[in-house]
Amino acid sequence: MKKTALFLIIALAVAGCSKKESGTLLEEIKKRGVIKIGMSTFVPWAMNDKEGNLIGFEIDVASELAKDMGVKAEFIPTKWSGIIPALLTGKFDVIIGGMGITDERKLKVDFSDPYDFSGMSIVASRKKAPGFKSLEEFNKPDVTIAVRLGTTAAEAVKKFLPAARVKLFDDEAQAVQELLTDRAHAVVASSPLPEFQAIKYSSRFYLPLEDTFTKEPVGFALRKGEDEARSYFNSWIREKHESGFLKDKKVYWFRSRDWEARLR
Amino acid sequence: MKGRFRLFDILFIALLLAGAAWVVYRMRAVLHYKWDWSGAAAYIVRYDESAQSYVPGLLLYGLGMTVKLSIWASLFASVIGLFMGLMKLSVKPVIRWVAVLYVGIVRNIPSIVFIFIFYFFISSQITMVLGLDDYFTGLAEYDSILSLFFSSSSMMTLFISAVLTLAIYEGAYMTEIVRAGIQSVESGQGEAADALGMSWLQKMRYIILPQAFKRILPPMAGQIISVIKDSAIVSVISVQELTFRGTELMASSYRTYEIWIIITLMYFILTYGCSLAVGSLERYMGRRGYV
Repeated sequence: MKKTALFLIIALAVAGCSKKESGTLLEEIKKRGVIKIGMSTFVPWAMNDKEGNLIGFEIDVASELAKDMGVKAEFIPTKWSGIIPALLTGKFDVIIGGMGITDERKLKVDFSDPYDFSGMSIVASRKKAPGFKSLEEFNKPDVTIAVRLGTTAAEAVKKFLPAARVKLFDDEAQAVQELLTDRAHAVVASSPLPEFQAIKYSSRFYLPLEDTFTKEPVGFALRKGEDEARSYFNSWIREKHESGFLKDKKVYWFRSRDWEARLR
Repeated sequence: MKGRFRLFDILFIALLLAGAAWVVYRMRAVLHYKWDWSGAAAYIVRYDESAQSYVPGLLLYGLGMTVKLSIWASLFASVIGLFMGLMKLSVKPVIRWVAVLYVGIVRNIPSIVFIFIFYFFISSQITMVLGLDDYFTGLAEYDSILSLFFSSSSMMTLFISAVLTLAIYEGAYMTEIVRAGIQSVESGQGEAADALGMSWLQKMRYIILPQAFKRILPPMAGQIISVIKDSAIVSVISVQELTFRGTELMASSYRTYEIWIIITLMYFILTYGCSLAVGSLERYMGRRGYV
């Protein structure tokens, strides 16, 4: 114990003045040989397959990025509600987790150019909200919407359905359960989650709108001031748009359901 | 008639079973939940094709992490508790106030708030100043040994933060246990030691602590069971323990209840096992005339 305590005191004294500088992220990643990526489980962006490995759209994108940088990708699964504070306190280098670019988030973090677009859709209960066909019908004080905390879906509900009551949950599975137990009229989430749920519980759920009702850009999130890393990511994204990589992955994870067999 | 089953007991048990059956029936009616236990066993143990052997599944990994977290946190919490408990009984006011302040702060804020504040504001400062991140990244080759006792090198700083947070949180309760244990030793013992001209250290080491220890042990063992249960709250800072692994799996698979049930059973087996161990420890100590 004495030695450890001594070590701690010395290390504190030595390292006390050398605070981490910003703007050197790219160098740091190369030196470390590992890029640390913050993400959270969202089907089909990132999820566990039956072997417990992470798979999904974001995982493919981040692994490709790491490969091109010549470093190892290390994924740090993090609760969505705490993911921005975790980035800001240096728990990882970048968030590649389907994070929508919003003005509010821009106050705290920097975003890369969009590498993907996502949209919100809505899945409703046949029993509680029968035959609803437009957003206006959901925008009433006696309508309850379940949504995941801290997502752009929660913001979209605030913006498009200001009159409706909102229930916030830590993840979508809980929000969907709320809908199953008839304690909510509908769940709003990034497409294709509502569509998948409508298929899975087709006797109880339906899709009131045919298409998504928002379109929002999605980018990598970085700590403020990492301009060198940001411009590197931007050029990487441009290249992957042009090579068709991003489009192929999008088709595989969002249009096909071939990956379902990998889950169970 | 002592210890025999009577009609009343049988009726009572039948009533309990009927109540449980009714709850299960209502759950089915209200939840509209599609139960799907297929492949759920793979969350605990699964057969790995490439390795040609059985390997632990995600939830068993989580349980392992919970056990490691609990052991280290209990160990540090006991050390903190011992020192703070002694400080709380010090005759010097400044030393006493430090311990009183510590216990007062920790016990009077919700655990989840304490964990967030400590993790994001304090422990990240400590790990950054010490450069722990870079230090452990360099140890990647020793991963198998590190994971056995702590966590993989990449998750090491997170693990340390979680252990520290839990230890400081539980330490406050240990402090009170230690304080009560020392105060329960008859005052005549301390006075006799003083009369013999023993120093404070001698008095504590030879007279007070050996007697206090026997009374401290059972409640301390009980507090360790609490540590196991409380370790679930560090899932909010994304430590990969049982609860966190479970919630991640739920988000992937949408099998909310199946996974909660498995997790509950895993915690129960762990804590109930510990309870049994504590019980037999107490009986053993009773037989040996320690208590």
